[in-house]
Amino acid sequence: MTISKVLGFKRTLVRKMDIYESGVNPSGSATRQYDVKYYLTAILFLLFDVDLVFLLPWALGYQNAQDQTFMIYGFLFFMAILLVGYIFVINSNSLKWEE
Amino acid sequence: MLELILETLIKAAIIVGLPLGSIPIILVVERRGAGFMQKRLGPNRVGPFGLMQPLADVFKFLFKEEVEPSHVRPFFYTIAPLIALVVAVMPLAVIPVAAPFDFNGKTIFPEVFHTDLGIFFAFAVSALGSYGILVAGWASNNKFSMLGALRACAQMVSYELSLTTAIVAMIFLYGSNDIHSIVAEQTGYWFGFLPKWGFFVQPVAAVLFLVGIFAESNRLPFDLAEGESELVAGYHIEYSSIKFAIFFMAEYVHMLVLSGLFIILFFGGYSLLPGMELLVGDSALMLTIMQVLSFIIKISLMVWFFVWVRWTLPRFRYDQLMMLGWERLLPLGIFNLIITVLVVHFRNH
Repeated sequence: MTISKVLGFKRTLVRKMDIYESGVNPSGSATRQYDVKYYLTAILFLLFDVDLVFLLPWALGYQNAQDQTFMIYGFLFFMAILLVGYIFVINSNSLKWEE
Repeated sequence: MLELILETLIKAAIIVGLPLGSIPIILVVERRGAGFMQKRLGPNRVGPFGLMQPLADVFKFLFKEEVEPSHVRPFFYTIAPLIALVVAVMPLAVIPVAAPFDFNGKTIFPEVFHTDLGIFFAFAVSALGSYGILVAGWASNNKFSMLGALRACAQMVSYELSLTTAIVAMIFLYGSNDIHSIVAEQTGYWFGFLPKWGFFVQPVAAVLFLVGIFAESNRLPFDLAEGESELVAGYHIEYSSIKFAIFFMAEYVHMLVLSGLFIILFFGGYSLLPGMELLVGDSALMLTIMQVLSFIIKISLMVWFFVWVRWTLPRFRYDQLMMLGWERLLPLGIFNLIITVLVVHFRNH
């Protein structure tokens, strides 16, 4: 990046420093309101991903566990909670993007 | 201590240098491949068969003016490409290209940083890739780039869920997070001819993972972050000169890393391709060379697959993309995980 700064041509024009909006004069600010769905997606991702990441140590511990049947019951209970949450999310239409 | 530092430095130079050096080759393959698929020539003027084209591109990028528009947030605008590249290169540290071998009476691990948590580390770091894009989009202070960054982030996190379900299922099957033991599990043959690759055990997880890595590395058909027809260029719209090139390098390295992980989990990593045993014989040196060669061949096929898909499938619409991620792939991944766990459990008991 430094090399490019030294070697690159420099012709400073005011127009060049403007916001790029397909050649039209820029209007309004970029930090306007955006769809809340992006935020919802991020929050839901956090919930589900934390759930799934909890399963990683479980998957590693299963092979050496003493009572593997108990591990399976725990897993099924955990997945049941996850599925209930998932069905709620889908039914609440918070992930419907087409309008 | 000095020896350890020296060893690490040499390995780092080779393992990070090799993928970075192979980016020009991927670029040629991609552009010539595009030409091949669209019945045109592609860049063929610079050097023999256009092989020098990427070198010319690099010099052009270096000599172009570096515009820093007046409305950006300068600090974040400058560090965003660096975040993207560093985060893309870091997972390479745990990806081995061959089995551990003896050298001067010492066991050498052919990756920079040997850890039992290889897979976990690689995915944790490569998931940070969305930060580079988000910072770039926000710092550019432009409507197109902001929208591109938001889209990229929402898409990457959505597909990471189905990716994670595939990883959990595979780690449960192998019972280990260590890349060397995962590859060791996949060495050998069933019925004498079918390689013991994870793909044949878990085709559903493999498909989930494949779709996930296309979405994670923002390649077509999932490159909604860049969608030329609607967002012009997405998050790197205000970038010029070498900063723009760095974003591209980051994308290609990310692609390489993810295809490496895909191969490790589903296609036996550096384990030999069928038929290669005949070439190896008893020599340990030959074995290592052949393992490196197998890994490189598998990676090259993956990269060609990326190019192939890019010029075959059209881009998704955004709501279709989100629906595919959340309402198709995620439940599929969860059910695949549950069935895998139950089958393994009832086979043991």
